[in-house]
Amino acid sequence: MSLEPPKAEEIKATFPQFQEVYFLNKGGFKAVYKIVVNGKPEAFKIVYIPEVSGVEPEVNKEIKKESLGRIAREIKILNDCKCPEIVKLGTIQPTVVVLNRREYVAYSEEFIDGNTLREFIRQSMKPAEENLRSLFLSLLKAIRELWSLNVIHRDIKPDNVMKLSRKDRSYVLLDLGIAFSIVDTPLTFDASNRLPPGTYRYLAPEMLQPGFRESLDFRSDMYAAALTVYEYAAGQHPLAKSKEDLIATLSRIVRESPKSLREYRDDLSPFLIGTIDQMLKKIPALRPSNINMLIGKLEENS
Amino acid sequence: MKLYAQHGYGEAEKINQGLQKGIISGAVYSAKDITPDRLNNRLSEIAASSPSAARIFDPQYYVSLIGSDPNIRLGKLEEYPYFSIRRRSQLESNQLIADELRKVIKFQISLPVTAIISPNILISRSFDSVEAVIAKNFIRQAKGIYEQFSDNRPLYVTLAVSREALIDFTELEAFLNDVTLLNSPPDGFYLLVGARSIEARTDLYHADVIANWMLLNYSLKINGYQIINGYSDLISPFLGAVGGDIGCTGWWSNLRIFSMDRFAPEATGGRLPVQRYLSTKLLNRITFYELGALRRIIPNVANELSMDEKYEGEPERSIEVLQSWEALSSLLATITASDDSSKNLEKCAEAIKSAEDLYTSIKARYRLDPKSDDTHLEPLQEGMNQFKKRAEI
Repeated sequence: MSLEPPKAEEIKATFPQFQEVYFLNKGGFKAVYKIVVNGKPEAFKIVYIPEVSGVEPEVNKEIKKESLGRIAREIKILNDCKCPEIVKLGTIQPTVVVLNRREYVAYSEEFIDGNTLREFIRQSMKPAEENLRSLFLSLLKAIRELWSLNVIHRDIKPDNVMKLSRKDRSYVLLDLGIAFSIVDTPLTFDASNRLPPGTYRYLAPEMLQPGFRESLDFRSDMYAAALTVYEYAAGQHPLAKSKEDLIATLSRIVRESPKSLREYRDDLSPFLIGTIDQMLKKIPALRPSNINMLIGKLEENS
Repeated sequence: MKLYAQHGYGEAEKINQGLQKGIISGAVYSAKDITPDRLNNRLSEIAASSPSAARIFDPQYYVSLIGSDPNIRLGKLEEYPYFSIRRRSQLESNQLIADELRKVIKFQISLPVTAIISPNILISRSFDSVEAVIAKNFIRQAKGIYEQFSDNRPLYVTLAVSREALIDFTELEAFLNDVTLLNSPPDGFYLLVGARSIEARTDLYHADVIANWMLLNYSLKINGYQIINGYSDLISPFLGAVGGDIGCTGWWSNLRIFSMDRFAPEATGGRLPVQRYLSTKLLNRITFYELGALRRIIPNVANELSMDEKYEGEPERSIEVLQSWEALSSLLATITASDDSSKNLEKCAEAIKSAEDLYTSIKARYRLDPKSDDTHLEPLQEGMNQFKKRAEI
């Protein structure tokens, strides 16, 4: 089921304080609009709380509870995060709104003027080492900030990273919609019968093990960050293949070692290639976990 | 990788000579074999005579849990103020662990050591056990307790594990995932892998043990820790190849293999073992008389190092350990020179292949004593292969 997003005019009619509204994009049950409010642009997000057909009303109630819980968690985390590498909240506080007889939760984030890494990958760009280091550094700083709040992002991927044309803020991580807190009550309804939330191509191998939530830590985000840098650098995912079915991809994630980044980009430094390759190891203990040390090395050589 | 002396009974001038010759870079003193006063004096003497040498003290706290055995031989360990006999159930209390850490660290703070070793118990059966939980608590709390002393020497935490526990890769993986993610990380680990007895050489020369011991070194190094491998003897080059910083070995067989056997009553009436020669080319020790015989028919069995001349006939006993240190240091310099594990592993593979070839030549012309034969090569090769698979190298 995909969301047919409300038109910009409908949004403007419901929120007359918005001076301008433009549709930007949609994904899953979300739609994003660029709005101008109080003379400043913001990203306005509406999240549809789906009704699942053919299930008991109790199940629907639980699914709705999970969705609302995720939005509340995302907003709380964004509120707590202070580092520029993570998107900031906007001025529109979360509110329930009915558009076209459908119920949404709406709120705003800062408007980031840039493109996602996915768009650059599609253009077959070959980013320079300096850009890759800057991306890697930004993602590590974002992961460090989230981990300091006992949170794991769980959905780091090229689609959720914006590239800006600013030197002081080159890359920004978006979308904490499925963030996992190691200290809060689990939100996932019927978790034992569902695959972990996230984009399967970017799941760390340990997230495919039974009972993974018990031992999940920021090294899963480090893995996804390394995958993102790899894909941006190489122009392709190291394990997933296009048009391959889900099971084959998941099997590769668990069993197959990715080719070294060197195979695609032998122009990059051994340090960068070695670190990315190491962070793609299957066992979390074989990935460098000292984020401060890694950040220090990347800053030293930038 | 550097080499430290593993201290034990009968030190005499061995460590001094090793340091003066530059064939060891430091020493790990054992509480069992030296009184607290003598320890302090020896550390001060070394600090004066070899200021750059590492001076470390193994508090041997892991003996606490077997201390109630009526046959136990604690030696001088009982004279140390921190030492008490403990039951496992007592150490299930985090508070007691904190108290024990404080006592052992406080004792070492007053010593002229160059690094502090925090205590731990031995994980004797499995990483999925009460012992492992206690051991993790010792590791987790160590840095926090140490910081209360405002001392700036590096802190190494003891991780002592039996080969039975180490052999299970799945449990090791889970344990490693835990200990590489500490809120208060120490500077390094003092790693001990225990055999069932000091005679059970095959306990450690086992492919799974070698693979997982290498994996421990590799994982800890990737996560920014320094690693001292106690009692690692001839396995040291393989550990150094993948990140281990220090290997240790001593003059008796109980200083070349870590085992709680060291605290068991000594068998009486035995003869002193025949002096052996560590051949870097065989990755093994052979008796001095085997060396004498082989030198005539296969001269390249010798290391061509300075201590070789002491083995023209029967060497003095005090020479044996110096020869071992010299040979092992030379091997470490050859095999562990690169920061790139893959390159070092290639050197390890070359060393094994050369040793196999040399053994083949020997077998055609000479019959070696069972302890001198080539049974160590297969587990080394297989262990290395398994390690590479597990570490995705």
